Amino acid sequence: MKLKRFLLRYYPPGIILEYLKSNGEIETKSIDLLNLTPETDVDVLVNQILFEEPTISEARKPQLKKLIFKLIEKLESNQEQEFDEFKVLKAHILPLTNCAFNKNGDKFITGSYDRTCKVWDTITGRELLSLEGHKNVVYTMAFNVPFGDKIVTGSFDRTAKLWDSNTGDCLHTLTGHTMEIVCLAFDPNGYLLATGSMDGTAKIWDVESGQEIYTLKGHTAEIVSLQFNSDGDLVLTGSFDNTAIIWDVNTGEAIHTLSGHTAELSCTQFDFTGEYCVTGSIDQTCKLWDVGTGNCIETFRGHEDEVLDACFNSTGNKLATASGDGTARIYNVFTGSCTQILHGHTQEISKICFNPQGTKVLTASGDQTCKLWSAESGEELQTLEGHEDEIFSCAFNYEGDTIITGSKDNTCRIWKDEPSMMKARAAVEEGS
Amino acid sequence: MPGLLNILRGLRKGQEKEARILVLGLDNSGKTTILKSLSDEDTENIAPTQGFNIKALSKDGFKLNVWDIGGQKAIRAYWPNYFEGTDGLVYVVDSSDEERLGECLEELTTLLGEDDLKDVPLLVFANKQDLDLALEAEEVMEHTKLNDITDRVWFIQACSAITKEGLEEGMEWLVNTISEKKES
Repeated sequence: MKLKRFLLRYYPPGIILEYLKSNGEIETKSIDLLNLTPETDVDVLVNQILFEEPTISEARKPQLKKLIFKLIEKLESNQEQEFDEFKVLKAHILPLTNCAFNKNGDKFITGSYDRTCKVWDTITGRELLSLEGHKNVVYTMAFNVPFGDKIVTGSFDRTAKLWDSNTGDCLHTLTGHTMEIVCLAFDPNGYLLATGSMDGTAKIWDVESGQEIYTLKGHTAEIVSLQFNSDGDLVLTGSFDNTAIIWDVNTGEAIHTLSGHTAELSCTQFDFTGEYCVTGSIDQTCKLWDVGTGNCIETFRGHEDEVLDACFNSTGNKLATASGDGTARIYNVFTGSCTQILHGHTQEISKICFNPQGTKVLTASGDQTCKLWSAESGEELQTLEGHEDEIFSCAFNYEGDTIITGSKDNTCRIWKDEPSMMKARAAVEEGS
Repeated sequence: MPGLLNILRGLRKGQEKEARILVLGLDNSGKTTILKSLSDEDTENIAPTQGFNIKALSKDGFKLNVWDIGGQKAIRAYWPNYFEGTDGLVYVVDSSDEERLGECLEELTTLLGEDDLKDVPLLVFANKQDLDLALEAEEVMEHTKLNDITDRVWFIQACSAITKEGLEEGMEWLVNTISEKKES
């Protein structure tokens, strides 16, 4: 086996080794550097990597060192940034639901009560495609990250549709659920997708053929949250039956039922490593679970009302939670201690996410604003004002220099920091 | 409670002591004002509803998830988005706008023909009784041909979203009717 080249993954930081096998096939292995910080002693780290990866020769040392410095630089990017409203997109004629970026962030998708999913160019704010065919609200949608050539939409019409993201052609309509589809995900390899429904089941589908592979039966109430782990061999579902279930994608069997919450679940998420997952509940707590054993490791308390959303940062050492009590909290995942309470919104916070660097937290609220916070100090950095009704969804692009927000006011807004704004304007001028 | 999660909660079926109420009617009939008035909120400066408003109200031990849907012509085609799981339909009529009663009847007739709203009890609010021009409930009833309805229970209530006159009475009828229906 011969080391061919290094590839970089910025968030979470990692180096991918690409090997050429004797039979000519290419194999990759990733070295995750989840603890990398600007303070890391890079020489020590390089020696350690060489020790653990004998295929990397001494001669590669300077190159490896350069790559690690690049990763650190990326972690430190976007520290001093100020976002401004770049575009207000008014093509939907009814409230928006969810929104999502593709991997490199040059396109994003929005769903709406107007039964369409629209594909947008992030730089120009131009509508590229309108995916039409659903007979009711398009509630949930995703790109097949990292590839980005397909989109899946889930609708209150009980179907999901697979689309070619470049042509807008509908490739398959996935039928079988007997109630609204409200959550879905592609597996990271792009072969499978999973849908979760108000009918209490989840289904695994083959992307190529559009055929159902398994129905995941076990929940006794609506499924409202669903994800694959990074390896794509497990699915996590969260339900109004107060439990989450971890499923084996290869057999369709439930591996662990995560019970302990005393009210409906609102959200679930795997961490990057897939060793842990988090659940948030109407019972005002979040819980951290060991994916291997299904045991609850930690209960995060403190919110005084329902937990509506929760997410890990990209490396998985921090957890951010959003609540009906109008505050967000940041917890240290490993100690369970609450490190910051984010006060400032005047209404419930319904969505929360970290920027890819993990340095900032974005919250979306019923008070019609989004706010940006320092993940380190908890300080409120900025308020994104402009929407005229509550904000249902928000997302960062992979670079962390662009934000999209979807609102009940029928608009989607693009927010950019200054360098990104300048880039976009230059690109628009060039194109005109 | 805002957020998409609340929408999902509103979609839950078969919840005891919970009812999903759908409020429809032409634009400017006063749907949002009625909803705000019922929840004791300020009724001034209400803009046309582009999408929907949801309010949870409590009445006689029932939790009512009330959905007020925008009534402008261009978005009426999307009314069916909200039909599923509806326990009670409130149809709001601007009693002072005699010219549009024909359009009012047309939309109501379409609604009553929808499969997803089959058997759903109908409450008609003859709204804007505070205005001099307002027709009596009796006249609104004739214009909207309520007497021709044979496939469901219905009730017409004269009301004013501004003075609140008649609102509670109407909702009372609706909740009782839904409650009886759920028990049977």
